[in-house]
Amino acid sequence: MSKRPRSDEIAKYYLRAERITKIYGDGTVAVRDVSLDIHQGEVIGLLGENGAGKTTLTKMLSGLLPPTSGRVSSPLGAIRFSSPREALAFGIGMVHQHFALVGTFTAAENVALSHERPFARTQLANTRARLEELMAESGLHVPLDVPVEKLAVGEQQRVEILKVLTREVDCLILDEPTSVLTPLEVDELFVFLGKLRDEGKSIILITHKLKEVKSITDRIIVLRHGELVGDVRTSESTTETLAQLMVGEVLEHEADAVELSDRDLPIRRVRKPVDRATQSVLHVQSLTSKGNTGETAVDDVSFDIHGGEIFGIAGVEGNGQSELVESLTGLRVPIAGQATINGTNILGKDPREIYKLGVAHIPEDRWELGLILPFTLAENAILGVHQWKQFKGPLSFLRWGRINKHVRELMDRFEIRATGPSAPAKSLSGGNQQKLIVGRELAKDPAIIVASQPTRGLDIGAAKYIRDLLVEMRDIGRAILLVSADLDEVLALSDRVAIMYEGQFMTVCPPEELTRERVGLLMGGVREEAVA
Amino acid sequence: MKRLLVLGLVLVIGLSFAVSAKKVAIILDVGGRGDQSFNDMAFSGAERAKAEFGWEVVDIASNSENDYVPNVRNAARDGSFDLIVATGFLLTGALNEVAPDFPDQAFAIVDVAAGPPPWNTQGANIMNLVFNENEMSALVGALGAMTAAQYGYTHFGAVLGIPGSVLYHFEAGLRFGIAWANTKWGELFGTDPGINLLYNYIFSFDDEELGESTTTAQLAAGAVGVYNVAGPVGFGDHRAIVNAHTQAGTLVGPPYYFGVDADNDYFSHTLASGMKRVDVAVYEAIKAVEEGTFGAQVAANAAAGLAGGYVGTLENSGVKLSKAADLLEFIEFGIAAGAEIDYYQTIANWATERAALSDAIWDAIAELEAGILDGSIQVVTANTDDDMAAVRAEYTLGAP
Amino acid sequence: MTEDKKQASRLLRGIHRTLTGLHPALESVLAAIVGLLFGALIMWVWGYDPIVAYKTMLLGAFTDKWGLADSGAIAAPLVLTALTFSICLRAGMFNIGAEGQVIMGGLAAISVGFFVLPSGLHHVVALVFAMVAGGIWAIGPAILKLTRGVNEVISTIMFNWIAHFLSIFLIGAVLLNPFSADQTIAIPPSAIFSKLIRGTDLTYAIFIVIGFALIVYFVLWHTAVGYEVRASGLNPSAARYGGIKNKRTMFLAFVLGGISAGLAAAVILMGSSATHAMYRLHGQLRNIGFDGMAVAMVGRNHPIGILFSAMFFGGLNAGGRLMQLSSSPVPVQMVRLVMGIIVFTMSVPELARVFPAVKRHSVGLVKEMKRLTSSKGRR
Repeated sequence: MSKRPRSDEIAKYYLRAERITKIYGDGTVAVRDVSLDIHQGEVIGLLGENGAGKTTLTKMLSGLLPPTSGRVSSPLGAIRFSSPREALAFGIGMVHQHFALVGTFTAAENVALSHERPFARTQLANTRARLEELMAESGLHVPLDVPVEKLAVGEQQRVEILKVLTREVDCLILDEPTSVLTPLEVDELFVFLGKLRDEGKSIILITHKLKEVKSITDRIIVLRHGELVGDVRTSESTTETLAQLMVGEVLEHEADAVELSDRDLPIRRVRKPVDRATQSVLHVQSLTSKGNTGETAVDDVSFDIHGGEIFGIAGVEGNGQSELVESLTGLRVPIAGQATINGTNILGKDPREIYKLGVAHIPEDRWELGLILPFTLAENAILGVHQWKQFKGPLSFLRWGRINKHVRELMDRFEIRATGPSAPAKSLSGGNQQKLIVGRELAKDPAIIVASQPTRGLDIGAAKYIRDLLVEMRDIGRAILLVSADLDEVLALSDRVAIMYEGQFMTVCPPEELTRERVGLLMGGVREEAVA
Repeated sequence: MKRLLVLGLVLVIGLSFAVSAKKVAIILDVGGRGDQSFNDMAFSGAERAKAEFGWEVVDIASNSENDYVPNVRNAARDGSFDLIVATGFLLTGALNEVAPDFPDQAFAIVDVAAGPPPWNTQGANIMNLVFNENEMSALVGALGAMTAAQYGYTHFGAVLGIPGSVLYHFEAGLRFGIAWANTKWGELFGTDPGINLLYNYIFSFDDEELGESTTTAQLAAGAVGVYNVAGPVGFGDHRAIVNAHTQAGTLVGPPYYFGVDADNDYFSHTLASGMKRVDVAVYEAIKAVEEGTFGAQVAANAAAGLAGGYVGTLENSGVKLSKAADLLEFIEFGIAAGAEIDYYQTIANWATERAALSDAIWDAIAELEAGILDGSIQVVTANTDDDMAAVRAEYTLGAP
Repeated sequence: MTEDKKQASRLLRGIHRTLTGLHPALESVLAAIVGLLFGALIMWVWGYDPIVAYKTMLLGAFTDKWGLADSGAIAAPLVLTALTFSICLRAGMFNIGAEGQVIMGGLAAISVGFFVLPSGLHHVVALVFAMVAGGIWAIGPAILKLTRGVNEVISTIMFNWIAHFLSIFLIGAVLLNPFSADQTIAIPPSAIFSKLIRGTDLTYAIFIVIGFALIVYFVLWHTAVGYEVRASGLNPSAARYGGIKNKRTMFLAFVLGGISAGLAAAVILMGSSATHAMYRLHGQLRNIGFDGMAVAMVGRNHPIGILFSAMFFGGLNAGGRLMQLSSSPVPVQMVRLVMGIIVFTMSVPELARVFPAVKRHSVGLVKEMKRLTSSKGRR
């Protein structure tokens, strides 16, 4: 109660929630008895683990979801809208974690589509002009004339943010905006958000990242299991207290807690030396691939990964990491170069043949690639291995008995929380979905694991779990290719790190040799010679 | 016990009321109502029975050919119908499948002769309603040929639908009539005009455009007029005739349209129609049931080896060449159907066209009609392909 | 006023919540009731007695063996054409081509009338002919889609018309019955399914239909092939990631759908048809493909659901015929209208579910057209 705003602040509120509760049709209590005020000219961080009710709360605040009880109001009256467009017109804009873009339309067309008269003749030109202005101002750059389905996830996120910014909103709600942005972009975005705040706008930032919250917000609200457990001024909080509020219990080991507060990361410094004289598991020589728009996305890249090492690729997203991974997993046909796994060529082969060579692939987009959401857990658990003898009997019949048993084992081993093998994958939380993918891929007993953004959008607990697994796999001798936009993650986990810029490796070296400053320069395309 | 008796009495009275109104089901093929000829005429026959005997009439339409059997069977199983009339030979298969299972149900079918299945129907409970279309077609053919002779044309035309025994009656009669007229004209005026027949089967009963183009082709080949033997296709035939007049800039005279089934003489440029009273046939079948003679009539006809329980002939006016009285009856029919008709003008035009033909022609037609009626002239007919081939061989009419 | 409004909207939201949480079967029943009520309203407005009409329809269709048998006979081919649509939808495509595939299947089945074989073998040959012809007819649009990216909605509709005119030609030129010029030669008695219940249209072919539906169910949900079809239909990118060749599954789904449609024609011509022949404009087969799409929607695109929805559809048709005979007769056009309303309301839940796919599809179509027209315009 002591953390409620003081009476002199109440007059200046922009949005007010009074004891709002949301109970969904299936009985889930997503938000319980939350009261809070949003003021003009402040940035609020909304913290909480996956499933804590952050998205539900913001949806209610923006008037799109009616509370089961309680009331949301502005000084002008109750807040209730029937569509995001209506909310936008009022001045509340929300950028969702998952995008509402028309894949075959360009960025400019998508933004124009969100306006009042999307098909007016001048709308597209006006939108373009406004977008270019905004891109310069905010530092968020996207190609405007390419269909958005051809854009990287990070670029799509930027389109979503720009879409809302064009509408001159008073209150901007961003759901996990930084999970797909590069550090540089995050910085630029935060500078821009600061500017918006100074103009008197309210900004709500949903995130997992303690560090980000600390760096930009004025006030932090913490949710746990749908309840408001903290409403503190940023200046009065520490990462330790916030982590505790979020997780709710004192973490098992004191050491872990310290690590968490330090870098969010479990770091295994104990590394087995890798024998580089033996044959590498993955050998890549002069690999060159084109991107979706025909540009050279991977440009003459060569590297080797041995068993028992994690090879990390860091870099600003959109510099060829996705194309590299796709080229190595059969999803993209490279135009030149060689790649072998234990001596067998993999280029030009389809994914099924490559999997047979012992490749596990944790894809960057678990909704678009990794899972078939309407499918059940069991059905998802055999994606890619459904042709294996242990799951397929004569006449192509699937052995559901064995498959279900296999799924239960996966659920046990990888701590996947779900009602059972027949639960649809879309009913799982993000963390459990990712664990399902990781479990499925590791169950292949692979020689090499290609992990692309394995912890994106996950809460601390799930992310830690998956990082631990990767390290564990390394320790039992597997080769791991880790691609992540989370620089800290790459630096902490990898035995060797490559920094990728415009399709090329700027450097390959152990993480100890990299300072953050040096990484920043390399990621920004400044050559090693200049650094040295 | 007493109560039961009263209840029984009430039931008996109720039932006797229920059975007092007799019912007829008219089962139509996919063509359905509104064709202004065949199906509508069948229905009007039932309407006449309704007016005279107080029968109830239920018409049952078919969505597709799949409905024929179930519609006939459902009506039979319903048990409340005193007569089930199947209109048209498309329902032959359905009647053959259902009728044997319901020996006590009276059926009637139009245009299908008694005989062995699958192309005919047979049974003590089926009254076949057929017509000697060859008789009135002979009159149409004779009139057409003589009209051609008078106006100096070389041919008479016919556009026919899907070949089969009914249409063979028409064609055989036409050939006979034209040949008879050629001979007669020779007798009267000394030279055989040698009028020939142009005929085309278009394999359709609803393709008006094909009817129109076929008619145009026949007119170009020298036909004085065209006899429509394909129901609604006649609308297309008639358009072709009207177009020919428009192009030639003529208001009266040839080329002429010759109607079928109903009396189409209220159409422009129409000299005559070969009428086939489907309504009378349906009415007669209902009347037989009403008077309790249905079974006896069917049995007697079978014993006599007749084609049907009702056979429309010139003698009983079931078929006829249209006359003035028919025009007066059907002009009302046309007006009721929404056709734009100038009553007096239409009658005047019709009378003018007919008067333009010499009296000798009308006398000859009357002579032929009398000859058919008294049996001194036997019009040839045909039922099968073989019959038809024989008739064509006998009356070649220009064919090589 | 505002309080009333609020209450009304709260009530609506409550109803919506209740409805969206319903069990699918319950949802269907509710949708059927809404459709029946709406149909009743229309009949009442036009002066027909809806109670008598519905009583005739439902009692006639579902309460005695005659009605059930006739309903089943109508349902049999619809199950198969519904499967055609559903299999392809499960694979992520809109196959509107059942109509043409049925026609081709029918022509092939009729052609067995040209040779003499022992009964049994003759049945098998006719069924195989029909299935192969239907399957082959589906290959055209499939190849166009997979090699040239031609939208299957457009190509299947075009193939329907090609089949339509081709059949008119073939019936007139090759298959015509020398004794009756309005229809083809008949399938000989040695290849006819005998009646399961005498005095109805129901034949032993119904077992083939049920068997086929069960096979489709097992293939889709219990084999790796079916798994691949469903996976690539729901998420082609993920399927590709999972080592599935999307083009192969699309091709398979199309051909399997065509086979099902071809079989539908055989089931009609070798079974319920009175003449066992095709008419010049294939009236017995007309709309079987399109009605199948409605059946598929009502049956939630699931083989087992389709068995039930086809039976319901068959009942509406069989009962609808009886409505013309009732003590207060309803004309056939009104019967069709009421049936259409009922089928529409029953399709709504599944339509809503499938709508995202439809939307995705139409956006693609619009884009394609835009591209075509703009490139033309620039020239």
